[in-house]
Amino acid sequence: MTSEGSPPDPDPGDGTPPPAHEVALEIDTSVAHVARVYDYWLGGKDNFAADRAAGQQAIEAYPDIVYSVRANRAFLARTVRYLAGEAGIRQFLDIGTGIPTANNTHEVAQEVAPGSNVVYVDNDPVVLTHARALLVSGQHGHTSYIDADLRDTKPILAEAAQTLDFSQPVAIMLMAILQHIDEAEDPYAIVNSLLAAVPPGSYLAISHPAGDIETEAMAQMAERLNKLMAEKVTFRTRPQVARFFDGLELVEPGMVRVQEWRPASEIEAKSPAALWGGVARKP
Amino acid sequence: MSAVQPSDELPREPAKDEPRGGPTVLRIMLGNQLRRLREAADITPDEAGYEIRGSRSKISRIEHGRVGFKERDIEDLLTLYGVTDEQMRAGMLALARQANSPGWWAKYNDILPEWFEPYLGLEMAASLIRNFEIQFVHGLFQTEDYARAVTALGYGPVSTDETERRVSLRMRRQELLTGVDPPRVWFVIDEAALRRPIGGRQVMRAQLKHLLEAASLPNVTIQVVPFRRGGHAAAGGSFTILRFAAPDLPDVVYLEHLTSALYLDDRRDVDHYMEVMNRLSAEAHTPVATTKFLKEIMQEM
Repeated sequence: MTSEGSPPDPDPGDGTPPPAHEVALEIDTSVAHVARVYDYWLGGKDNFAADRAAGQQAIEAYPDIVYSVRANRAFLARTVRYLAGEAGIRQFLDIGTGIPTANNTHEVAQEVAPGSNVVYVDNDPVVLTHARALLVSGQHGHTSYIDADLRDTKPILAEAAQTLDFSQPVAIMLMAILQHIDEAEDPYAIVNSLLAAVPPGSYLAISHPAGDIETEAMAQMAERLNKLMAEKVTFRTRPQVARFFDGLELVEPGMVRVQEWRPASEIEAKSPAALWGGVARKP
Repeated sequence: MSAVQPSDELPREPAKDEPRGGPTVLRIMLGNQLRRLREAADITPDEAGYEIRGSRSKISRIEHGRVGFKERDIEDLLTLYGVTDEQMRAGMLALARQANSPGWWAKYNDILPEWFEPYLGLEMAASLIRNFEIQFVHGLFQTEDYARAVTALGYGPVSTDETERRVSLRMRRQELLTGVDPPRVWFVIDEAALRRPIGGRQVMRAQLKHLLEAASLPNVTIQVVPFRRGGHAAAGGSFTILRFAAPDLPDVVYLEHLTSALYLDDRRDVDHYMEVMNRLSAEAHTPVATTKFLKEIMQEM
């Protein structure tokens, strides 16, 4: 079902799943997981009691989180629209897919530029199962899925190469995921290793929860999430997020609050959201 | 027998122009609204039941969307709940009238068990249908011959006429898949359901071919759980989870028995079935691998 269009694949990102007992161990609904907490904030129905409890605790610390996640999804859609349109990108590496919702990367990209290829990467088996079942390309391009962790970029790049042509520009999408990599795991080296694999003319799009907007509420939310959620969070300041774009050419308007990045309307620009975001080109 | 337990979210306007809404979902939505209004007015089900010349169980049936509405009952309840705004009253009464209009399946009433009728309404209104089947190919994907054979198994040697009406109802249901704004359909099928030659090998081979064709529809996802997997998610039986586009409508789990059915929408029940469904989907062959697997089974049939 995913193999309509290009390219004729051996079985890209669609290998046989692990044996039952491994999957069963990996799916744990007794602890909150970020993809499902995020789904809860977005008003989705793919969350469980632990996710709702953690999500609610976060809302109590920072009520605007429900607007923040919506602003982040809207930012994703606007960046993909820009990349597939103005920037002429046809290949997307979307790491940290999340549970499918409206305006998923391949939908936006293939609407703007039919024939766009999208590789989704996530390390949550529930997310991957949903992505394989629901994030399916029509005749307008190719979509594949990789079960991998952002901390280990080698297998991501190796598997993505089955769908993407790394001699041509690629957009690397890191939407609200780098906060799960703490300083000890060196998120900057991770981003650089991804950038090193793509040719000049490629793009990097990042959104990142801010450590210096609504500082007190965000810090309290982080503290609560770190107690309740399997994935830990590190929110970063503007200069810390800007460092991810070192050596790249930021496109207008630079790195800003996500709602201020080429907003579709005045209202959108004013929606409360505590994330930094930007899109940059590799020279 | 539980049924639609309203969610605890904030009240929202019911989506009056739900595309494939159908009476069942309108009833559930109106029931939800009435429960919220009753609770907001701090009135017990007993008091509300008394007001409309009935009991608390009548209120419960109304609030769960299990029965049609009498306009007079709705008017009296709205008054009791202190709803005086004419526009709101008119809106809710209009919703009640719509909810009372019969679905297309009304003409099959003679062969429809009363416990199955709500399912048809929910199926027609769902935005996402997830199903796990261990015994048969699901009704939405059955060929006429396969449906005939299954019907004969289920109802024994009944008149040809009745069998044909059952088959024709099933075929009518399938128009949902290719109609306007069709639901997302995500089915997990146990290998056993595909190996068992219902209606004979020829019928089964055609059924498998039909399944392969269905899997190529853009809104359809099919995954097979091969014999060597799935033990850990063991569901114990077939089940369906129906999801609706309206944010305040809870998912509904549908469990069918020989002579009745259960409709669960208590959050704890739904969570449990959803978890099992997620495990089954994770353990099953991927959609791409399933296509290959279906072809193999077809060749061996």
